[in-house]
Amino acid sequence: MGKILEVNNLKISFRTQGGTVKAVRDISFDIEKGETLAIVGESGSGKSVTTKAILGILAGNSIVEGGEILFDGKDLLKIDEEEMHKIRGDKIAMIFQDPLSSLNPIVKIGKQITEAMLLKNKASRRISRKEFNAMLACLKKNLIEVHGSAASAEISEKIKTFDKFNIVAIKYETAYNDAHDKAQELIADIGEMLSYMERHQKINVKEKLGDIAKKLPRVTNKFLSAGYDDKLAAYATTVASLKSSYDEKSEESAAKVMAALAELKATLEEILSASRPDFFRIGYYSMMNPSATLVDMSIDELNEMTLKFLDENFMKDFISLETSAIKHSAERSIAAKKKVLEAIPEARTYFGTKKFDKKGAKAQAKKLSALVSNCIDKLDIVKDSATYTFGSALNNAIDKYFLAVKNNPKEEARFKKQSAKREKLVKRGKTVDWKVVPAVVYDLDDLTDNILKIINNIATKYENDVANAENVDFSARAIAFIDSLKEKASLVVYKLTKRMAKEKAIKLMDEVGIPDSRIRYNQYPFEFSGGMRQRIVIAIALSANPDILICDEPTTALDVTIQAQILELINNLKKERNLSVIFITHDLGVVANIADKIAVMYAGKIVEYGTADDIFYDPRHPYTWALLSSMPDLDTEEKLEAIPGTPPNMIYPPVGDAFAARNKYALKIDFEQQPPQFDVTPSHWAATWLLHPEAPKVEPPQIIKERIERMKKRGGM
Amino acid sequence: MAEQNREVLLRVENLCQYFKSGKYVNKAVNNVSFDIYKGEVFGLVGESGCGKTTTGRSIIKIYDITSGNVYFKGQRVAAGTLSYKEAIKSARKRIAAEIKELEAKNEPDCKEKVAEKKAELAKIVAENKAAIASAHHDNKYSDRDYARSLVAQLKKDYDAKIAATKDPMKIAELKKQYKNDVRIAKKTKLITKIQMIFQDPIASLNPRMTVKEIISEGLVINGIKDKKYLEEKVYEILELVGLVREHAGRYPHEFSGGQRQRIGIARSVIMRPDMIIADEPISALDVSIQAQVINLLNELRENLGLTILFIAHDLSVVKYFSDRIGVMYFGNMVELADSNELFAHPMHPYTRSLLSAIPQPDPHTEKQRQRITYNAALAHDYSVDKPSLREVCPGHFVYCNDAEEKAYKEEFGV
Repeated sequence: MGKILEVNNLKISFRTQGGTVKAVRDISFDIEKGETLAIVGESGSGKSVTTKAILGILAGNSIVEGGEILFDGKDLLKIDEEEMHKIRGDKIAMIFQDPLSSLNPIVKIGKQITEAMLLKNKASRRISRKEFNAMLACLKKNLIEVHGSAASAEISEKIKTFDKFNIVAIKYETAYNDAHDKAQELIADIGEMLSYMERHQKINVKEKLGDIAKKLPRVTNKFLSAGYDDKLAAYATTVASLKSSYDEKSEESAAKVMAALAELKATLEEILSASRPDFFRIGYYSMMNPSATLVDMSIDELNEMTLKFLDENFMKDFISLETSAIKHSAERSIAAKKKVLEAIPEARTYFGTKKFDKKGAKAQAKKLSALVSNCIDKLDIVKDSATYTFGSALNNAIDKYFLAVKNNPKEEARFKKQSAKREKLVKRGKTVDWKVVPAVVYDLDDLTDNILKIINNIATKYENDVANAENVDFSARAIAFIDSLKEKASLVVYKLTKRMAKEKAIKLMDEVGIPDSRIRYNQYPFEFSGGMRQRIVIAIALSANPDILICDEPTTALDVTIQAQILELINNLKKERNLSVIFITHDLGVVANIADKIAVMYAGKIVEYGTADDIFYDPRHPYTWALLSSMPDLDTEEKLEAIPGTPPNMIYPPVGDAFAARNKYALKIDFEQQPPQFDVTPSHWAATWLLHPEAPKVEPPQIIKERIERMKKRGGM
Repeated sequence: MAEQNREVLLRVENLCQYFKSGKYVNKAVNNVSFDIYKGEVFGLVGESGCGKTTTGRSIIKIYDITSGNVYFKGQRVAAGTLSYKEAIKSARKRIAAEIKELEAKNEPDCKEKVAEKKAELAKIVAENKAAIASAHHDNKYSDRDYARSLVAQLKKDYDAKIAATKDPMKIAELKKQYKNDVRIAKKTKLITKIQMIFQDPIASLNPRMTVKEIISEGLVINGIKDKKYLEEKVYEILELVGLVREHAGRYPHEFSGGQRQRIGIARSVIMRPDMIIADEPISALDVSIQAQVINLLNELRENLGLTILFIAHDLSVVKYFSDRIGVMYFGNMVELADSNELFAHPMHPYTRSLLSAIPQPDPHTEKQRQRITYNAALAHDYSVDKPSLREVCPGHFVYCNDAEEKAYKEEFGV
């Protein structure tokens, strides 16, 4: 699994009247696909600022002082608004803390949910087609390079076939899925209706029967209901006649309806229990034999037959061809990487001397980035962000250096002049009501270090890659490549109409637990309670089907049952869609269930980082102890240990450990020097001097020790 | 707390609070009854919109209650009239039907029987009308009655004191003091003995008043004019809630969330209330600050002997803080028990689903957690057998019908 998002050495501050507030101070983390990272900390610890930087919605007075956020081969801190617009909400979606501020008060919520779906669908069909074509073209180019131009006709024939039958397959599949969904819906509807009728509870039977009659014809599908079509048609007429003859007062007619519905339900369940056809294979078969009816055999037979057909006629060849292309491309990339490694010592010494002029530095950077851009392996599905962003990052760092060289003397001169003026006035005995703005002087050594860091990063990365070049599993990559092509193809044919969007939105609303979703669909935000509004916001965020979901305290304003529901919902969606989630909260209890990794933040720094088990069963940082001990669990009887005081003023961040002033375990060195990261296990580190080998042994507070004991006992460990 | 010396401080009887919106009636609180004993913390939990905040607000008379009674220190402070009106209506309907029936039969003693029925109706109407009048009176004059009783008490005390002293100077001084005290007593309202802490510390503090003005406002309204006394009081209370004197001159925006909530608490404590209604006082605060506020409330409760009605949705906190817990669902009280008992033996299916949803700071139990879902329509069959709040075992009340009561009793071997 590749890293989907990387944040490296991010530093953000805010210019305010009182001075510069250092909100985020050098934090790094990464997220893998399908993983949940929880960021926990008090308000003002910089957790929201970090996520806002990821989405590119920082406030106007913010300054990004350094670092990078790598996503999909781009540095999100450096791309322009146009490109960011494509990522925001589509690839990375966010659920905000306050639901009211993220809903439009004068637009019905149904429209707000479907809006993004419809817009995105149009765009994504176009983009997916483009990407699909680009991928195939790239594959073709590599193949021709491997096999020579003599084979080019054959190769393009193969690729064309692949393109065509993929689209055919996807068309079949969408139709099948639609019918399948409808059948499932019907079963649920009938089940609910029967349970009500059995209890003699009041429902509008006629209306419900009408609904069922309307939905029934849509279950018919070539593959799904093969052999049942006559039966379904018969049911449709029965239901319609039942509807017209139903009498509310008569027990007999109710019994009749119930019997008919139970039978229908059983039939539908039988239909659904059949195994699922593999449309990828069927697509190829039906393209090669357009006259075949396909339905005269059972699904299992069909699957087997088409698989054999596909493998023998096409797939085996295609995969071997594809593997050769991928191998070729990877080898070329490795060769290019070796070249980069050869060039790096020169660049290192050039920038390492710290005496370089602008022209030379730019030339050096250009040379190096040209070499690095050769290393891009276009047939690799997982984009290597460092390679993609290397050129811009290096250029940026060099620009920053020369800007500082130019501006530093100016700033110093201004500062000197102003202070002299102020002193003069003070000497004359005047009251001066203005302050001298301190000089903004950048440390040139730091800036050169930044340049070197970028170069060193790429060097270590490439060394690893070259060393591991032998162990790459190309057949696995070939299959991943085909999967990705399939996915793109499914997006190309996926056409969303307004009606379907409405059905999807209602389904989504049901999923997030909004009752009477059909009525609610046409209501305005003010007609919903707080919890309901939050659910709508979640539904909107999910409607775009993002890769990364950022949840900024989504459950803080909700009560337990709904909180549990929403956490479960996010967890399920994460599993279904292989979603990566960044979950921000101040309540550690909330994240125990959903987090894979937890980062505890305090005063703009990550103070402890580890898996959920590490943080809950073996916390090391005093701040984590304090967070854990200040909330009661169900067995807590003793007095809670509150954290005294308030977080520090981040205009003047403390010299040493920021938590030292509120920490009863603080050592002397905590006030003088920032603690480095001490590794506890490879996946778990904490930034506290208590972990230093020479530090005195300190036990966590009693309340935590007891709780961990209890939890371990309960967990049977 | 020993069982025998439990004094009921607040009694809520069949409280109903309906809101009319268009032609629909929203039954926010429906027939809720409970007692709160002196010195205890009574937790009220339930999902949002279930009427727990409305209950709190009805008790403190922010709303005029629709039906039912609220007794505080034995005095009825709020009363609704809907139940009486409905009684009259149903009696009229019933008796009209009976009279019609009698007339249809046309028996020889028909006229006498009809007259009898009419007399019966008149009696019922008169009774209920009297009840309505008394409810109106209590709603309006409960504070005045309380003030009068205070004045009478003062008169008695001072008469005794004046009779005991002989020095004319002292007598004059006492008389002056008496006059002042009577003036304050006349303005005293019974309802000020219940104070409220609100959920959102930012929204509940006036941004244009200093902390001193905010905290002392209640006393000023109650007729205290002595500025020095007010200042002393404010400083005393500020220190009590863990702030310092210097904070008195500042404005609310200069404080952090936890400190703001402390100001809110100080404002309610300065009235020396017997009871505090804390409406989700910690849900808007950070976890670390939450602990500070809970510890503060605990200290105040011990030092001042406060009774607290604690409304919250964070069940771990409620469990930690409360002696008894009432669970509400859609305007009904569905379960009421001692907090340990409730968590050990939850009976009502809604309570079970609520308890199963509590997040725990423990990844292993969290990952195995099975949330129980609750659907009122599927869980109960109330078509024939009507439910009510019943005491299933001592001190443990559950909203159920006969069949369910039997099932619960069997399940827990009572």
